Amino acid sequence: MKRSLVLAVLVMTAFVTSEAGTISGKVSGVAGESVVYVDNSAGKTLAASTQHPVVDQRGLMFQPHITVVQVGTTVDFLNSDSVAHNVFWTSIGGNKKLGHNLGTWPKGERKSFKFDTPGAVSILCNVHPEMSAYIVVVPTPYFVTSDQAGSYKIENVPDGSYTVIAWHEGTKNQSKPVSVSGDGKADFTLSK
Amino acid sequence: MLKRRQITVVVFSQLLLALFASSHSYAIPAFSRQYGTSCSTCHVDFPKLNDFGKAFKDAGFKFPKDDETFIKIPPVMLGSPAQKELWPHTIWPGSIPGLPPIGLRFNTFFQVTSNNRNNFNAQLAPGTVGPFIPRTDFQPGFFSIFTAGNFGSGIAFWVDDDISVSGANANGGLGDAYLRFVNLGRFLKLPTDSLTLKVGQFELELPFTQARSYDISPYDIYSQANIGAVNPLYPQQFVNNSFTLAGPGRGVELSGGHHYGGYRYAIAIVDQNTSGTPPTNYPNVPSGTGGNSGGVGFFSDSNFKDLYGRLAYRFNLERDPASRHEVQAAGATGPRDHTYLTLGSYYFYGRSVQRAQGSLSNTTTPTIVLTARELFYRLGGDFDFNYRKLDIYGLYMYGHDNDIVPFIPAGFTFPNRFISGSPATFSGGFIQADYLLYPWMMTIMRWDRVSSTADFLNGIGASASTPPPTPFFSPFNSVRNRFTPGVQFLIHANIKASFEYQVRPKQVVYNPGTTVQLVSPFRTNTATAALEFVY
Repeated sequence: MKRSLVLAVLVMTAFVTSEAGTISGKVSGVAGESVVYVDNSAGKTLAASTQHPVVDQRGLMFQPHITVVQVGTTVDFLNSDSVAHNVFWTSIGGNKKLGHNLGTWPKGERKSFKFDTPGAVSILCNVHPEMSAYIVVVPTPYFVTSDQAGSYKIENVPDGSYTVIAWHEGTKNQSKPVSVSGDGKADFTLSK
Repeated sequence: MLKRRQITVVVFSQLLLALFASSHSYAIPAFSRQYGTSCSTCHVDFPKLNDFGKAFKDAGFKFPKDDETFIKIPPVMLGSPAQKELWPHTIWPGSIPGLPPIGLRFNTFFQVTSNNRNNFNAQLAPGTVGPFIPRTDFQPGFFSIFTAGNFGSGIAFWVDDDISVSGANANGGLGDAYLRFVNLGRFLKLPTDSLTLKVGQFELELPFTQARSYDISPYDIYSQANIGAVNPLYPQQFVNNSFTLAGPGRGVELSGGHHYGGYRYAIAIVDQNTSGTPPTNYPNVPSGTGGNSGGVGFFSDSNFKDLYGRLAYRFNLERDPASRHEVQAAGATGPRDHTYLTLGSYYFYGRSVQRAQGSLSNTTTPTIVLTARELFYRLGGDFDFNYRKLDIYGLYMYGHDNDIVPFIPAGFTFPNRFISGSPATFSGGFIQADYLLYPWMMTIMRWDRVSSTADFLNGIGASASTPPPTPFFSPFNSVRNRFTPGVQFLIHANIKASFEYQVRPKQVVYNPGTTVQLVSPFRTNTATAALEFVY
């Protein structure tokens, strides 16, 4: 009994280890943060986080500038400024039919929106046109924002074959096939 | 000919559209740099202010609330804030902007003038070669520098100067230059923003600014001086008052209230200069800017200080009471200017000094200088109605100058006193409608009208310093109308292309000597395009 239990633990450990790999690499050709995410999950539908990321408007700036969420996630838009702000976007993933205007609300209040369609969303304020932010809506929970140098590492990715996409503000997305068996690697070179 | 003119205008408009409807970017004038924000934060179509821009100005060029949280370039403190505890009621160390808040502005024009532009030459004596007015003309405009901001503790400043006008070097002169002590009423425990003091040279608190107008052409009524001429048929007309409401005042102004809602008042005491003469230097009488060391000298040409007052109330008509009292209304798609109605009135009072050489007895040479005060005033009312993207506003003005005339008794060579004549008056105003078709495109329609007993043919000697020759002085009411449609494009938030077509219907003008209607009066239509940028 004791021996079989140890054996089962060993088998499960080996299984889990083989399923939870990483995808790492570097995004070059652009400066600053990029978003890298797994575009499919082998037909599985993975539930989005129930937490609401917050995009704040503070000091005439959206903070953070880039937010990555899984499809189905609700984002809260907060106004921390003592001036009126607005939040709108003209499209989601280039689809102009999905443009939306959340209106205006005073300091301290927030409005929420659930993003059900994948794609990059350029967030704007129609009062302060210099303000901008991005919400990148991705189909899987396997995503990461690179560091300023472009290095990234997506963890806990099950073994398998995937398409990995790199997104950067103002550039075209670039996708690459990646096989994850423990670790996978994908480097991107983006250009404007 | 009309068809040809229309074609010209249409083609020109299309060219402008094709040229300027291109890209989109952001401006970085003085405040933009300091706060890291676009021109459109404060302007609808620069320099036209939106409600937030009005509140920013009212607050002393600061954000109305939490200003320090918005400044991207931190100010330099001129002392620790804790110094305030030492002399809490007298000294506040204050601050200066982290970078000099300097803005520059330049504009350039192209004008097409209609075919009757030289018709007034027909009034000249036979054989006289009159001046030539070109059909088209490129005109470099104003290159101006301005600096404005806040020194902390509610002390604001503004200085603007036209470095160059029409490419003719530094002849533009100082515009506004003042210090403004915002919300002084707090020391007297008065309601917030109920008392502000401005000192220096400034545009009077006019219902609608001329100095920072976004129109190409000025409002006719603002530049209306009351200048008559000695007319052989109507010798009582002797008024020679070059004062115009558009000119800068030099003095102090007390004001209170807000431009974005509720009451607003201003009372100003300013130098009087109705003669139009520039400041005079008297070497033996030192002044702040002149005296023995040279310089400019005195501006006033009278001991009397002119008085100006304005009272207005703006009714914000938003249904939502919370939104109604905010700086901007909370629209369904974002903050916007309020729907509002402003009603106001204004009054300017002066007593210009009149001097003439005279004699109390019949002498061959004048023995005294006769002096008298000639009362004059300007008064009127104004309105401004804004509904979303449509802004309709206008004002009416009535101008009155008592006419005092040197009186020469029978048998005298020189006058021995002044007597009252018929007052010289004028009236008029304008109505303008702005419609913001897009955030980057505004259409404009304006009607100007001036009716004056002391007017002369428009366009001839229109400057106070170059009065018209006597034959052109009309003893009758001379009515000038002007219709000015226009359109303005923001190429970028800091670059603007403007176009306006000034239509001046011909007016009935009589030769005062013969009372015969003059043929082909000089009333031209003009099409003017302007390019302007600030940074």
